[in-house]
Amino acid sequence: MALPLSYGWRSLLARGMRTVFTVAVIALVVIATTLFWSLIASLKRTLVSSGSAENLVVMRKGATNDGSSQLTLESLQAIRFFEGIARDSEGNPLISPELVVQPFFATADGGRENVLVRGVEPVALLVHDEVSIAEGRLFNTSSGEAVVGRGVAQRYKDASIGSELKFGRGTWTVVGILESDGSSFESEVWVDARQLANDAKRTLPYSGFRVRVAKGADMDALARRIADDPRFALEATREIDYYENLSSSANTLYVIVVGLAVLAGIGAIFGATNTMYAAVQARTSEIGTLRALGFSRAAILFSFLSESVMTALFAFGVGALGAWALAIFISWLLGGIAFGAATFTTNVIQLRVAPVDLLMPFALSVLIGVFGGLAPAARAARMRPVDALRKA
Amino acid sequence: MIDITNVSRVYQRGADEIHALEHVSLHVSKGRFVALMGPSGSGKSTLLNVLAGLDRPNAGEVVVGGRRLNELSEDQLAEFRAHTVGFVFQFFNLIPVLSAVENVELPLLLTKLSRAERRQRAETALRIVGLAERGDHLPRQLSGGEQQRVAIARAIVTDADLVVADEPTGDLDARNAEEILSLLQTLKRDFGKTIVIVTHDPRAEKWVDEVIHLDKGLLLETRPGGGLRDVAAS
Amino acid sequence: MKYLPFVLRNLGRNKLRSLLTASSIALAIALVCILRTMPAGLDSFLSSIASNTRVSTHNEAGMVYAMPYAYLQKVRAIPGVVAAISWQWFGGAVDLSKGVAFPNFAVDPEDFGRVYEDWNIAPQALEDFRKYRDAALVGRATLEKNGWKVGDVVTLQSTVFPMQLSFRIVGEVPNPRATQFYFQREYLVQAFQASGTPIDSTGMIWSRIDDPDRVEPIMRQIDEMFRNGEAETASETEKSFFGNFFSSLKGIVAVIQIVAGIVTLCIVFIAANTASMSVRERVGEIAILRAIGFRRKIVFSTLLAEAAILSTLAGVAGALVSLGLTLMLRNLTSSGPQLGPLTGFIVTDTILVQALFLAFLIGIVSGWLPALGASRRSVAQTLREVF
Repeated sequence: MALPLSYGWRSLLARGMRTVFTVAVIALVVIATTLFWSLIASLKRTLVSSGSAENLVVMRKGATNDGSSQLTLESLQAIRFFEGIARDSEGNPLISPELVVQPFFATADGGRENVLVRGVEPVALLVHDEVSIAEGRLFNTSSGEAVVGRGVAQRYKDASIGSELKFGRGTWTVVGILESDGSSFESEVWVDARQLANDAKRTLPYSGFRVRVAKGADMDALARRIADDPRFALEATREIDYYENLSSSANTLYVIVVGLAVLAGIGAIFGATNTMYAAVQARTSEIGTLRALGFSRAAILFSFLSESVMTALFAFGVGALGAWALAIFISWLLGGIAFGAATFTTNVIQLRVAPVDLLMPFALSVLIGVFGGLAPAARAARMRPVDALRKA
Repeated sequence: MIDITNVSRVYQRGADEIHALEHVSLHVSKGRFVALMGPSGSGKSTLLNVLAGLDRPNAGEVVVGGRRLNELSEDQLAEFRAHTVGFVFQFFNLIPVLSAVENVELPLLLTKLSRAERRQRAETALRIVGLAERGDHLPRQLSGGEQQRVAIARAIVTDADLVVADEPTGDLDARNAEEILSLLQTLKRDFGKTIVIVTHDPRAEKWVDEVIHLDKGLLLETRPGGGLRDVAAS
Repeated sequence: MKYLPFVLRNLGRNKLRSLLTASSIALAIALVCILRTMPAGLDSFLSSIASNTRVSTHNEAGMVYAMPYAYLQKVRAIPGVVAAISWQWFGGAVDLSKGVAFPNFAVDPEDFGRVYEDWNIAPQALEDFRKYRDAALVGRATLEKNGWKVGDVVTLQSTVFPMQLSFRIVGEVPNPRATQFYFQREYLVQAFQASGTPIDSTGMIWSRIDDPDRVEPIMRQIDEMFRNGEAETASETEKSFFGNFFSSLKGIVAVIQIVAGIVTLCIVFIAANTASMSVRERVGEIAILRAIGFRRKIVFSTLLAEAAILSTLAGVAGALVSLGLTLMLRNLTSSGPQLGPLTGFIVTDTILVQALFLAFLIGIVSGWLPALGASRRSVAQTLREVF
């Protein structure tokens, strides 16, 4: 016959202090690994979630990001009527020519960071359809106005609506705030492309084009045609691939996080094992009594093991909640976490624990519960009733 | 050696107030072998603890070896115990991770003796109790009786005048019990030690000089034991 | 000290438990060491350039905004400027799919050695750097990472200019953390001329000033000189420049420190649990020790010493493990220039010492209460309960 689960959790309650210790250890490990994992995941989410599956990024051949590419007006004229590019209701091709520049911005706490300023034309809002003006309005062309991403507004000096934002060679009036579901556009500032080219003294007006592919069109064929054009050295990448490549600098950190999680997990397993062994030792006479009463070895093994797993799962719950709250607190305290991506620009990341971030810590907790309790539970099960009772 | 006057001891056990000793007075002369006997809960262990400086009475006076124990602080009592009293308990006497001779040496760590001197004294004590060759053995390698003998060796290694033992034969079989009691009597006879034991083993009566009966915290009677008769007879 | 054998023996009482506790402490210390390498790498880099007389000058609007190359001559002419060179970002990658793995710049070779005197580059290397058009000076970390040595020819594909250039490595920057790659500006200029578009701008100018007290005034002088010019400049000390450069990493570093702190807390719990368990088991024994005359203080110190010794030994093991693991990390991961000093993964002596001290402290903190409790228990009470 099996031991009731209530024996398990009642025993846990009875050994108050000891259970608290084990729960604390496992919860802390969960918090530590979750926080670190979420840091990287938040970064990846910001970068990778950027971009639309229906867009292409056109840059000069060999450029890895649109900040280091320069394109001519001729190339824009040449490709804008290519087959496969989507059109708006009036038949205008949905191709957004853009100029990317990375000037210094002053942060609220006195630091200095590179921020991506994107010179665009109004068609940009149609091509980047996940971007919307959440507050205020889009800038008027040639008016020295700017719209800033949500992340920019909270991190940099004079970046709220109505403020005079200083960057480049001049001052820009902030007239709107843009949002994009948390993607990297929220770390950007959008201004009129021509004005930006002037300010940055760019001889070539654009750094890249973003192209909306028509529904049902063959995206790869279009990309190939753009790349193969002999007049210009261009290349076209899917926008989502483009951003995914940019996020590769975070991969190093992933390695570290996983490595740290493994280390921390092993440490926690040792800690949990310690506690379970002590529990077994302390309850020797109890076990003897149970065995004498007729509970099988398997029943004892299962009972102790489930105790260990229950502790670990409870600890996971505590840790997950703690990590979730801590992430929000840290993010608020630091004004967002800045990460310099491969483009030398700053992405403002909101540190958040998403449900999917908890998968790894959950698995870790289960492993800790199982491996931490296995050996002690086996020892408990193997005890002979008569030895156990005598020791009491 | 021991003068106890009008001592009472009350303590809390959970919600209950236990009156362990009620106005007990006792005198033990130097060099006597005395047994405190009585049923369970009679207060005999408490009395032993009081005269050994392990417990403070709530009322009354305790004078041992000329010292007023009431006046001593915790640390002073510890020092008193280290120099004046040797202890033998029923269980847990020996530290399981130390060998027999190391266990015997333990009280000497409190003195200023050198390592070599400590070892020598310990070996001497072991010889007295007849376990000279078992010095390097761990407690788990010794029988119950042998463990008690090692405990006795430890009790005499500092040359303390008073040896107290709480149920020294409680866990032993008949033969071992007789050996321990005989050993204790030897300590009294050959080394002049004052020995107070607590026991409910009736066999002890024939080894001791005096039997003191307690019940419910009161001292009932004192009568001579077999040991005295033996002495008188020899 | 005469109690030491006694203390050590007690650790051997329950070998499994001591081993498990020590292992978890060791692992956690290893973790803390590894985590600490990240901010420590940053701190060490910043402090190594803390007090020098180098000044950077860049376009006030941002580093990616260009300045006229002619500015270099004007800066050189200022009295008090010992030497000045320009840096032009090349953005070269060995393998385009992996991106730019180390910072690389086109610089002026003649004065390079004088501006960076404190880098201790071999005179012969500097000479070759001046002599050969395609010469390159490479930081030791990058050499080791890519398995390059002096004499090798390497090719970099620029991600900012449409060109690919081959270089001959003539010398190293001896600092084990240095990742930079420098080559001749003239080489870049010629490549530009060959492709038909000349280049007459530069990204940054670095100058060395003769006297620390003159640094402030000269910086102001430079910026004044170019105010209202084609490009307004902002000059700052090298330390300020890199401080700003890496300031965006502050957030990540903060999270790392927090995680390290949490891990430490974890260990304290584990160690405290063990200490209290092991003390609780011995309650009868401890009572007897006190009975035979051991004062509370001695009981307390021997129990505390047990926890401290176990913890410190575990800390040593953990520190050793961290040395091995960081070696692996250095070989397995690549650091982009923007993460730079953060991913050097070098466990310094300071970190080791801090870790050992931490381990010792953990022993003390975790063992304190159990030891105190055990030493203070009423002996008579314990004897009553146990027997």
